[in-house]
Amino acid sequence: MRGVLLSGGTGSRLRPITHTGPKQLVPVANKPVIEYAIEDLKAAGVTEIGVVLGHKGREEIQELLGDGSKYGVDITYIVQGNPLGLAHAVGCAREFVDDSDFVVYLGDNMLRHGVSDLIESFQSDEYGAGIALQEVSNPEAFGVADVDDQGTVKRLVEKPDDPPSNLALIGMYVFSPAVFDVIEDLEPSWRGELEITDAIQSLLENGYEIDSHVVTGWWKDTGKPEDILEANRLVLEDAERSLRGTVEDGAEIRGKVQLAKSATIESGAVVRGPVSIADDVTIEDGSYVGPYTSIGENTRIAGPHIENTVIVGESEVTTNGRIIDSLIGRAAQVESAEGMLPEGRRMVVGENSQLHL
Amino acid sequence: MRIITHSCPECGTVVAANELEDNRVMKCPREGCQEVLRFDDLTEEEQEFFLDNRDQYQI
Repeated sequence: MRGVLLSGGTGSRLRPITHTGPKQLVPVANKPVIEYAIEDLKAAGVTEIGVVLGHKGREEIQELLGDGSKYGVDITYIVQGNPLGLAHAVGCAREFVDDSDFVVYLGDNMLRHGVSDLIESFQSDEYGAGIALQEVSNPEAFGVADVDDQGTVKRLVEKPDDPPSNLALIGMYVFSPAVFDVIEDLEPSWRGELEITDAIQSLLENGYEIDSHVVTGWWKDTGKPEDILEANRLVLEDAERSLRGTVEDGAEIRGKVQLAKSATIESGAVVRGPVSIADDVTIEDGSYVGPYTSIGENTRIAGPHIENTVIVGESEVTTNGRIIDSLIGRAAQVESAEGMLPEGRRMVVGENSQLHL
Repeated sequence: MRIITHSCPECGTVVAANELEDNRVMKCPREGCQEVLRFDDLTEEEQEFFLDNRDQYQI
């Protein structure tokens, strides 16, 4: 089976982080989100992957993934151009999948247990598509599936007032090539996009059965800053302790800390896991790095108290203040204003930034 | 909606017709591929269909 990895979108909900790059490259536990998807597909035996690119981040995504050989997969790029919807993105992959079944993975989604069960559950001679579902407490906010006892989907309802179940669609699908014919017949929705839920609904109306698989482990759509922090927390919770870098005498380390080979925790610094520290990071004397923090490459931490935070990388954090629940973009400088007059906070803040002072 | 695409003969990168029409003549978007792709690479029928229905390919 081939895989189609959808990697378009503007990343508007992740601005300002995505002003300078695609959302699929935002790191979670110091690894770009899209790499988790590639690894999940590979683990499910899917090694021929079509990566669908929009306008944003084409070069950066290609630069990271290349031809896929470093992940043990073979990547073909599919340029969608205008963001005309998920069903349009899938439709652009028709030549690539070459009349065979295929799995679709949203490149900014993360799934703890991967897509193997969804793929195994799908039998193309029985089903037109397979969808992944997850129980949610607020089904009114999602596309919801009405399923029978065998897991066969009866209908899909988008953000229903009276949900037929608490099973929400998440961004993983398996399709037979029949989906391409129904996409050809789709009309754009009110927002001008070809909707993937409309394509699945059309399959149902055309007499195809739709399989479903209820995902039990966590699933995260990493579209917003708080989602990145949550995904970072979930990944770090499962991380193993690995101290490959330098830990000076007098540094205090507890719990699951991942320290890259060229990173240093200096004497007088305190690090309490789960924490991920990338290459060329220095944690200096007087700094505290607390649980659920990831610090990206080439970053200097000198003095702050940091918890539950993702620092993308190339940054200097030299304030002695407390930084919590934060997402700090590449090449940011967070310095101390102590001793500066007049007293006050000094900021250079980009468009769409959020500050809680 | 009919979705029209063209594959780069050199590297296999698939390009949607709206992208080809936007640029008319473009270097293949695959990093490192030097192939030149043209809207004219689509069949005459595909070009005509796309141009007749251009509005639906705009967002």
